[in-house]
Amino acid sequence: MRDTVLQISDLKTCFDTRDGMVTAVDGVSLSLNRGECLGVVGESGSGKSVTFASVMGLIKKPGFIANGSITFEKRELVGLDPTAYRKLRGKEIAMTMQDALTALNPAYTVSNQIIEVLLAHDDTLTGSRKAKRKQAREQALEMLKLVGIPSPESRFDDYPHQFSGGMRQRVMIAIALACKPRLLIADEPTTALDVTIQAQVLELIAGIREKLGMSVILITHDLGVVAEYCDNVVVMYAGQIVERGPTHAVIANPQHPYTQGLLNSIPRLSDLARRIEPIKGTVPELVNLPAQCRFMDRCTRARPACKTHIAMQDCGPEREVRCLFPGTPGGGDV
Amino acid sequence: MSDLLRVTGLVKHFDARRGVFGRMLGNPGILVQAVNGVDLNIGAGKTLGLIGESGCGKSTLGRALLRLHEPTSGEISFDGTDITTLDATALKAMRQRMQIIFQDPYASLNPRRTVGEIVAKPLQIHKLASGSELKDRVVSILNRVGLNSSHLNRYPHQFSGGQRQRIGIARALIMNPKFVVCDEPVSALDVSIQAQIIELLDDLKQELGLTYLFISHDISVIGYVSDRIAVMYMGKIVEEGETSEVLENPMHPYTKALLSSVPHLEKSTTRRDRIRLKGDLPSPINPPKGCKFHTRCPLAIDICRQKEPALELLNGTQSAACHLTSADGPKGGV
Repeated sequence: MRDTVLQISDLKTCFDTRDGMVTAVDGVSLSLNRGECLGVVGESGSGKSVTFASVMGLIKKPGFIANGSITFEKRELVGLDPTAYRKLRGKEIAMTMQDALTALNPAYTVSNQIIEVLLAHDDTLTGSRKAKRKQAREQALEMLKLVGIPSPESRFDDYPHQFSGGMRQRVMIAIALACKPRLLIADEPTTALDVTIQAQVLELIAGIREKLGMSVILITHDLGVVAEYCDNVVVMYAGQIVERGPTHAVIANPQHPYTQGLLNSIPRLSDLARRIEPIKGTVPELVNLPAQCRFMDRCTRARPACKTHIAMQDCGPEREVRCLFPGTPGGGDV
Repeated sequence: MSDLLRVTGLVKHFDARRGVFGRMLGNPGILVQAVNGVDLNIGAGKTLGLIGESGCGKSTLGRALLRLHEPTSGEISFDGTDITTLDATALKAMRQRMQIIFQDPYASLNPRRTVGEIVAKPLQIHKLASGSELKDRVVSILNRVGLNSSHLNRYPHQFSGGQRQRIGIARALIMNPKFVVCDEPVSALDVSIQAQIIELLDDLKQELGLTYLFISHDISVIGYVSDRIAVMYMGKIVEEGETSEVLENPMHPYTKALLSSVPHLEKSTTRRDRIRLKGDLPSPINPPKGCKFHTRCPLAIDICRQKEPALELLNGTQSAACHLTSADGPKGGV
């Protein structure tokens, strides 16, 4: 029996700009089960961050959710009033941002920023204001230990700028995990980090996920990271999901030409003799897009039939693809 | 094999005392030891890949080679001439043959100049062309990097990241240089665009007989583009060798950790047997005594904390700076 934590149906998020209406997310549907780790892959402008900013209720004017529904544990989030959202955010769903230096408040110590979350959300704290603060402080210290900050007692009252990039990312994870959320959305948690530190941070998230039975959404552009840490993957392009499925099936046998293009563009250490093949052209502008396949202009398989709205179609067990001519080039198998 | 570039004992320290008063009154000992004694040779027509984590000094080294940072000490011999002793006029002439491509295509192009002006500037500075000849050369190099004459009067903000990087490449190559420092040229780009730029740089190298120092923190990219690889840690080269040697048979524990931290697409590699490094890079202001890697090295023994190992040739072409691999050091199961 499947226990769905998050369900997004036909989400459409737009930004009303001077240049016209930008549809950053256009009809995204996905669901996440309890304990699952879902990878969301896409390049800049694919709508991956905006999709999850919509989940968190962080879309500000001129942006708005034009259509669709987002349910978290069967509660509708679209149109939820700000007070209710504040109770949810940080407690039940937490998000870590890509750039830890800008996401953390430079004017407050790290301890204060974790304690703030606990005081706002943790109902188990009891007693006077002072007593609550003392308990929160102890818990905050525990969190810093959990995320592996060396000698946390001495670093506890430092400011964010006194930490290195990897340590800041850990602090942000500590803030996100302080109230033991049931869903963690990690937006490019390791993009700004070096590869040895990236490994540390991803292991940390994987470890905590197992320990707390948390569901994780990992937003990234690195397919290697997805391959190692995610059960399932969705590939986004120009505001739409173009392919989804179990990670290893998608990577071993990609169906959408964009997914294939992505996989062919990365050099692989295991096979350096293999020539990389770039995808030609660039991502389309998201203003006033015609009703056609969005990848069409860069696709080697494009035909006149692609000049229409393309729907997701099944292409194997638990797999879907948004392409009229899916499969490996030449082979044509679906 | 003839070396185009020979670097001996290159050192670059930055004075980190703050402000005028700090310099007058401050502790004379506060030096950031960014590059700390580097020996390096690059063969004509070859690509040397320089890899290391942020803060290890790789960009400083790249810039010091062109004397964009004045080296503190050491010798840089370019095509037989020691460029560290050249006066301003001679250096300017020499710079025609040595160019650099920068990491950030947003910050390295003047937003108030058109593409035509940006790309023509080096020729004007060196008074190599004017009038219609200047324009012809600009258009021809723009064509070569995949842009065209319709882009001449546009400003950098009208271009995408990948196109901007092409402008940066055109600006460097219009001088017909022999040697180009590529300082993280693809790190700011999306993967599909990254592959386009790597291919372009590779084609240009073949066509124009260029020699590259290719700086990156991405070991897969380095492995793909390089003939030889140098691994840098805390201002020193810790391992150097042919690409296949370094990737298939790494000698230094740091290189091993770097390689095992890279997430792989293939199912076969399990992340469980990864070498996990503890902690962050130490501060380059106060580097650890002995081997600079001993604070994070899983194999460190007593001698590593006392004596700094020298870069030693281990077999025909591969060298490493580690007590455990050294011929006269203690033999260990590294």
